[in-house]
Amino acid sequence: MTESTATDVGADMTDDDVITDGPTDLAAPDAPDAPPPSEAAAMAARLAEAGRAKRISDRSRKVVAYVILSLFVVIAIGPAFYLISPAFRDSVSLFTYPPEWIPSEPTLENYRFLFSSTSYVRWAINTLIFAGSTTLLTLVTNSMAGYAFARLRFPGRNLLFFVILATLMVPVAAVLAPTYLTVNTIGDWPVIGDWIDIDTYLGLILPSAVSPLGVFMMRQFIETLPDGLYEAARLDGAGEWRIFTKIVLPLIKPALVVLGIFVFMLTWASYLWPLVAATDNEFRVLTVGIASLKGQFVTDWGILAAASLLTIVPVTIIFLFFQKWFVQASMAGALKQ
Amino acid sequence: MTTVDVAPQTASEDWAAPILSDAEYRWRARRYRFRTVRRAAGFLSPYLIIWGVFLAVPAVWGVFLSFNQGGLIRGDPRVFVGFDNWSRTLSDSELRTAVRNTSIYVVIAIGVVFTLAIFLASLLNHYRKGSNFFKVALYFPLLAPPILGALMWFFMVNFDFGILNLLKRGIFGGDGIRFLGDNPHALLTIVAVEVWRGLGFWVLFYLAGLQSVPEELQAAAKVDGAGKWRRFRRVTVPTLRPLLLFALVIAVIFNFQLFDSVQVLTDGGPRLGTATVVWFIHKRLFKFQDTGLAYASSVGMLIVVLILTGLSFWLLGKRRQREA
Amino acid sequence: MAEVILRQLTKHFGSVEAVQDVTLRIPDGEFLVLLGPSGCGKSTILRLIAGLEDATGGEILIDGELINFQDPTKRNVAMVFQNYALYPHMTVYKNVAFPLETARMGKAEVAEAVQRAAEMLEIEALLKRLPEQLSGGQRQRVALARAIVRQPLVFLMDEPLSNLDAQLRLQTRFELMGLHERLGITTIYVTHDQVEAMTMGQRIAVMRHGRIQQMGDPTEVYDVPANTFVATFLGAPPMNLVEGSLVRDNGQVSFRFEGYELAVDPATAGIAPDVLADATGEAQLGVRPEHLTLASPDAEGLPGVVRFLEPVGSDLFVSVNVAGRPVQVRMPPETRVSTGANVRLAFDPARSHLFGADAQNLRA
Repeated sequence: MTESTATDVGADMTDDDVITDGPTDLAAPDAPDAPPPSEAAAMAARLAEAGRAKRISDRSRKVVAYVILSLFVVIAIGPAFYLISPAFRDSVSLFTYPPEWIPSEPTLENYRFLFSSTSYVRWAINTLIFAGSTTLLTLVTNSMAGYAFARLRFPGRNLLFFVILATLMVPVAAVLAPTYLTVNTIGDWPVIGDWIDIDTYLGLILPSAVSPLGVFMMRQFIETLPDGLYEAARLDGAGEWRIFTKIVLPLIKPALVVLGIFVFMLTWASYLWPLVAATDNEFRVLTVGIASLKGQFVTDWGILAAASLLTIVPVTIIFLFFQKWFVQASMAGALKQ
Repeated sequence: MTTVDVAPQTASEDWAAPILSDAEYRWRARRYRFRTVRRAAGFLSPYLIIWGVFLAVPAVWGVFLSFNQGGLIRGDPRVFVGFDNWSRTLSDSELRTAVRNTSIYVVIAIGVVFTLAIFLASLLNHYRKGSNFFKVALYFPLLAPPILGALMWFFMVNFDFGILNLLKRGIFGGDGIRFLGDNPHALLTIVAVEVWRGLGFWVLFYLAGLQSVPEELQAAAKVDGAGKWRRFRRVTVPTLRPLLLFALVIAVIFNFQLFDSVQVLTDGGPRLGTATVVWFIHKRLFKFQDTGLAYASSVGMLIVVLILTGLSFWLLGKRRQREA
Repeated sequence: MAEVILRQLTKHFGSVEAVQDVTLRIPDGEFLVLLGPSGCGKSTILRLIAGLEDATGGEILIDGELINFQDPTKRNVAMVFQNYALYPHMTVYKNVAFPLETARMGKAEVAEAVQRAAEMLEIEALLKRLPEQLSGGQRQRVALARAIVRQPLVFLMDEPLSNLDAQLRLQTRFELMGLHERLGITTIYVTHDQVEAMTMGQRIAVMRHGRIQQMGDPTEVYDVPANTFVATFLGAPPMNLVEGSLVRDNGQVSFRFEGYELAVDPATAGIAPDVLADATGEAQLGVRPEHLTLASPDAEGLPGVVRFLEPVGSDLFVSVNVAGRPVQVRMPPETRVSTGANVRLAFDPARSHLFGADAQNLRA
C-alpha cells in the first residue's frame, strides 16, 4: 500500500523531479497528499505489524481448518476401525467395564464360525453373481439404448426418451408390491417361470437393471463422438451393429467403466429388493445375510463385527486403487449432465 | 431460363427423365425411411423389455392395485375395495406417524448434511493442500452398503460397549444413553448415521460446484473490496443457487426412501419412533397385514417422486439455460 | 463403368432449400468438381449421393441403378471427409483394413490390399501408428488409402485439402490427379477454392443457393460464364462488371453507362441478333482484367485515373477509377505507370460479356 501511494505521488510531480531525484525522494514534503516522513515511517511500522498479525491469524485459521477436517476424517473412518477389536475376540469380553480395548486373548473363532456355521461364502458368491450380472446387463442394454437415442433418427424418439427419463428416480419401495407380483406371476408361467421367479437369480437381477440413468449417460456420451466417424464407418460398409461394437464401444470405454462401477456399487449395496426377492438362503446376498446375523433378540456381536469387517476390507482395497474412477462414478448421477 | 449446360456430350436426353412415378417414389421413400425404426427397435428392445416388464408395467399395475386389498401371495385372494385404501391413507395413525417421522428426518438430515457439506467443501476449496486425502477419506462411508454402515454404528452406540457411551460414562459418569432404545434419540441416531454416510458425497458435489464458480468473478469481487462472507453470499451462492435447488430436490427424493438403517437398527421402534414410509410399506406388504394401505401409499410415494423428478429436470434446464 | 446421374435432385432442411432441382450426368471416370461458396449445397449433394442424407425428391443413379433407397453401406461409394474421420482407436493398418474386414474379406487378401493401397499413397511406414501420431498430411493420405482400398464405384471428396497448409495442398493436388489418372474412378470433388476447381476438374459445376449455375469444362466456364455470379466467382481478381443499360437506336444496339455509349456489334460480341434485340433495358458489361489494356490519355478508349498499383511479380494489377468505379486491369509487370496518372482503357469487344436484366450472359 505504501508503494502505490508513492507511485501516485510520483505521477503528480513534474517530469524533471522524477528524473533527477529518483524514487528515494518520492515522498518529499512538497508532494501534496503524501504524509510527512516521520508519519510515513510510523504508518509503515503499523502496516508491517498488521501484516504480521494477519499472517498469524492466517496460520491459526489454517490450523483450525485442518483440525476440523481431520476430525471429520476420524468420524468418517472411525466406525470401521471400531469393528476390529470385537471381530477378533469373544463377544462376552466386550461387556467388561472399564473396557478392554485390545483383546487379551485374540481369537479367530468368529471367522471360523462365520465360514463353518453361516452361509457367508454363499452370500458373497451370490452378491458377486447378482451385482456382476446386473452391471453387465445394464452396460449392454443401456449402451445399446443410448446409441439408439443418440444416433438413430426414428419417429417418436424424443417422446420415448422423455417417458423413460421420467422414471429415473422411481424408488424401489414405490413399485415394490407390483414388481414382486410381476416376478411372482412370471414365475407361474411354464418354462420361463423356471428362470424368472422369486428366489431365482434372474428374478433378483432383472428388476435391478431397470434404471434409465445409464441410458441417459450413454446417450450424452455417444452424442459427443464426431458425426464423421459414424458416417465414415457407414460408407465403409459397416452396419449399425458393427459400428456400435467396433467404433462406438471402444470409444466410450471410459464412460462404460464409470457407469459399471456406479451400477456395481449401487447393486451390491442394495437391500430392499434382495430382502423380498431372495428369501431362500441359496439366493441370499451379503447385505440381507449380514443383516440376518443381527438377531431379533440376541446378537452375537463378534460374528457381526467379523462379517462386516470381512465385507468392507476388499471393497476398501479396490477403492484405494481406483479412487479416481469411484469419485467420478459417484458424481455421474448428479453432475455428468 | 437458366442456360445450364448439363450434359453436352449426350446424344439423347433420355437420361434426364425420371424412372419412378410419383406414387411409387413416395412409397419407396417411406419404406426406406422406416428402416431406422427397425434398427432403433433392435437396439432399444433389450432395455425396453426389461424396463417395460419390471418398471413401467409394475408402476401402472401399482395404481390398479391401490384399489385392492391382499393378493400378494398365493392363497390370499385379491379383493377390490374401491377408494377404501385411499381414504384410509389419510386416517391411518401408523402411516401418519411414518410420514411425520420421515419428514422430520428429511428436514434435519438434509439441513445438517448440506450445512456441513458446504462448510467442508469451502474449507477444501480454500486449503487445497492434502485435499485429495480428505476427499478420499470423507468418501469412505459411501463404500459400505447402508446396511453395513448402520451395523458399524450399531457398535458405536451400543449401551454397554459403544464408544459414545464409554466416553459419556468416562467423562460424565452415570449410565449410558439408550441411543436406539428411547425417543427421540433413536430417530436422531438414524439422522446421524445417514449424515455420516452421505456427507462425503455432498462434499464432493459442492466442491465440484464451487470449483465451477468462475475465478474472474471471485477476483473481481475481491478487487471491489468485498469481504469473504460478502463474497460468499454475493458471488458464490448466486452462482450455485440453481445447483443448490437441484441438489435439494434430489436429496429429498433419496432421503424420503429411508429404510435400510431403520430396518437393521430399530425396526421402526421404539414405539414407532423411527417408523418411516418405506418401512411402513415393507412391513405392511410382507407381514401381509392390510396390504391395501401399503399399495395406496406406494402409489402416493410414486406420484410425489414423479413430481419432484419433473421439478429437478426443470431446475436443471434452468441451470443449463443460464450457462448458455 | 460407373456413371452417376442426378435427376431433379432436391433436398430441403425444414424451410431451407439446400439443393434445388439439380440434374446432371457424370460419365464414367470423370473428375467433376462442385464449386461454390459455403452453404451453396455442394456438400449436401455429396451426402445425398453417399446416402448420409435422404433426398426430399429426385433420383440418384449409379450405373443406371436407382440408389435413393439403398442403404449407404450398399452403395459402394467412398468418401474422403474434410477432417478425415479416421477411427482414433485403430492403427493406420486397421483403419485402412476396416472396409475390407467389414466386407468379410480373408485375412491374407486384406493384408495384400492394404499393402497395395499403402504403397500407392506411400504410407507403408505408418501402418502401425495411431491417427493421433500422424501429421495432417499423413492423415489425409490414410483417409485416401481407406477410400481407395476397396475400389469403390465412385469417389466423393468433401474439401479434402482445406485442412492442409498451402504447400502441402499444392503437392496433394497433383497426387490426387495422379491417383485419379491411375485408377480412373469417377470422382466428385467438392471445393470452394476456384484454383483447385480449375486445375483438377475435367468439368466444373458452379453452384449457388442449391442450384447449378453453370456446368462445363474449366476453360468454357471461365471464358463464357453463364451469369454474373459465375463471372465474378471465378477469376482473381474477378471480372469487372459495369452497370448500365442496353438501348436500341435505329437498329443499332449500344451499351450506355454514366454518359458513355459503346456500340454493340452482335457478331463480334457473339450474341444472336434477335437475343440482343430483345435484351434492351438494364444490363451489365463484364470484362476480365486480363482483357483490358491501359493506353495513353490521347488514345482511344474510356478515360480513367490510376488509383492503386499491385505488383505481384508475374503481373501488375492496376486499379483504375472509371466514372467513379474501380476497374481492375492486369498488365505485364514491366508496365510503367504511376498512381494519379490519366489513362485510357481499351478492350476487345469479342472478349467482353453483356449480361441482361436477369444477370444471364447474352452469349449463346
